[in-house]
Amino acid sequence: MLNFLDIYERTLQGPIMPEQDFDMKVLMPTLKQVTKQYGIQYDKDNPVPSSDADADNLFHAAVDFLSRCGIYCQNTNRVMQFSQAEILQAVKETSGCCRAGEGDDARVFRMRKPDDPKSPWLHVGSGIVCTTEEMFTNLVEAYGSIAQANSISISALDTLRGIPVMAGSPVEIYAAIRGIKIGREALRRAGRPGLPIMNLISTSASAVTTIAASAAQFGLRPSDGWLVGAISEMKIDFGAMNKIAYLLNWGANVGAETSPILGGYAGGPASTAVVSTAYILMGLLVHQGKYQLTFPIHFRYGCSSPRDVLWVVAASCQAASRNIPMPVIWLGYMAAGPCTPMYFYEAAAYLLAATTSGAPSVQTPHPAKAVKVDGITPMEARFGVALGTAAAQVKRQQANELVKQLLAKYEHQIETAPTGSRYQECFDAPTGKPNAEYVRLYEQVTNELAQMGIPLEEVI
Amino acid sequence: MDKQQLLEKLAQAIVDTDPDLARAVAKEAIASGISPLEAVEQGLSKGMSTIGDLFGRGEVFLPELLLSANAFNAAMEVLKPELEARKQQTAQTATVVLGTVQGDLHSIGKNIVATLLETSGFRIVDLGVDRSPLDFVQEAAKAHADVIALSCLMTTTMPSQKAVIDVLKEMKVRDKYLVVVGGAPTSQKWADEIGADGYGQSAVDAVALVKRLVSRKK
Repeated sequence: MLNFLDIYERTLQGPIMPEQDFDMKVLMPTLKQVTKQYGIQYDKDNPVPSSDADADNLFHAAVDFLSRCGIYCQNTNRVMQFSQAEILQAVKETSGCCRAGEGDDARVFRMRKPDDPKSPWLHVGSGIVCTTEEMFTNLVEAYGSIAQANSISISALDTLRGIPVMAGSPVEIYAAIRGIKIGREALRRAGRPGLPIMNLISTSASAVTTIAASAAQFGLRPSDGWLVGAISEMKIDFGAMNKIAYLLNWGANVGAETSPILGGYAGGPASTAVVSTAYILMGLLVHQGKYQLTFPIHFRYGCSSPRDVLWVVAASCQAASRNIPMPVIWLGYMAAGPCTPMYFYEAAAYLLAATTSGAPSVQTPHPAKAVKVDGITPMEARFGVALGTAAAQVKRQQANELVKQLLAKYEHQIETAPTGSRYQECFDAPTGKPNAEYVRLYEQVTNELAQMGIPLEEVI
Repeated sequence: MDKQQLLEKLAQAIVDTDPDLARAVAKEAIASGISPLEAVEQGLSKGMSTIGDLFGRGEVFLPELLLSANAFNAAMEVLKPELEARKQQTAQTATVVLGTVQGDLHSIGKNIVATLLETSGFRIVDLGVDRSPLDFVQEAAKAHADVIALSCLMTTTMPSQKAVIDVLKEMKVRDKYLVVVGGAPTSQKWADEIGADGYGQSAVDAVALVKRLVSRKK
């Protein structure tokens, strides 16, 4: 398998071209050709497909696509190229597991297959921005208090001493370090000091902040997880590669972060499924990732709950979980916000599609497209864990029918989705407890979902 | 083929994302006596408008939009010298300086807005991504811009949009430009809060917004 210096050398060796030429003359035509050649087709009537042969065909299309398209390096303006043999060698030689956490909270994050009754790795929380440290602490403590949680994401602070946290600025470093300290302290309060934080460093966009805030005295450990982003679509830059170089030298868990955009350069659902699968290969080969976090979203709606995105998630998740030994966290962005029935319908559809398709891990679906400040509460995390666990008892064909019923409840509202409540509006900050309205809504919706046939009774 | 049929064929070449056909029909239009300005406004722009509407409704995706723009530009290679020779100008001549603000590397939304504005006749100066407030101010002055368009995709880079407006005020040139903002975490409320002139929820909205603001200013 190529090592990271081999990968770096490819950024110096491939064909040189302007970024726009890569988009127009390499990425888009290659994707169109491969999608057609392999006969990949979107089936709007079946948002959760269940053909293993189709999943394997999508995997082969993704290998072919990655080998023909390559990855564009924005710093050298060259296309990094990989042969099919190199890609398949990386697939063959990867362990397919990620060791995360410390002490009693140490676990091995492993693969799952489609229709696998084993519960997925339950990744809880989000990097959604918080305005107060009190809320940040409450959220993390609540995540840590969910017994089934295997790992968490911590929030980002929007200001520090009233100064806006601007990406790439010195205050970003202060905010990142502060966030880690609060997160660790809150996990201690929850009695889970060893629980891995796997969205490091959530306030960070720059490599210098990642490296600075990772110094051991601030509380991080190689057994946590660091996210390093690719650039949509099929691109990377030295900022990301510098983070990887540092993290690999330290022996830390590198998490490849990818976001295929349906309707963007990836085109429609069929070709986006090819890109989505190719990204898992990229995470393995280019990021040298121990795990991956991926979140397909819709270009127009900015969320993952539309029917065509659910199909992309299910199809590419099946292709990857059957063929690529990479523990992937599948994350969805919901259109509706906290304390709305629509959020729960969307989240249930997403979690059913991903879990039954063999997602090794599912994360708390992010409310209100993750852009509402203070727009997350522990209730969504609790729901994600319950639904993720219950969905493992469902098979793909049943999930397909359930997802269609759920789509009928929210599909027409995606464009005008309610953004819901802020944490302060549906939780009592000093005690960290939900208000009566939210408790009532949660019970009402989970009962409704149980009556639809989702086996929630045993996990709530 | 009569004039109307040729203009429709030109529009269809754009919708069909066919640069060779667009170039050939543009030549045919000029040879048959159609004015280059009419060919642009009643042919090419109509085609772009159709594809822009389809894109806005989610019926086609970014690749089709960009390939249509490519066909548009191919036809313009034929029509532009003719426009210049006859000293004709397209209706929209405003200049838009646009880019993604400091700390933010996201480019797709910004690129789509640039493509749609350019094919609507605006002159575009695309500054790329991660550009400082002063870059926007200096480039806008250099380009004699009418509009500064600021994109961001992260909540942590929203303050950089405000910073551009603050620097414009500090340098006492805020009134020289229309400033519009966009990107997933932004909203009309945010635009009002930071003193922007407008907010575009989508790329198609952004084009309508810029057209509206520019025509109101004139």
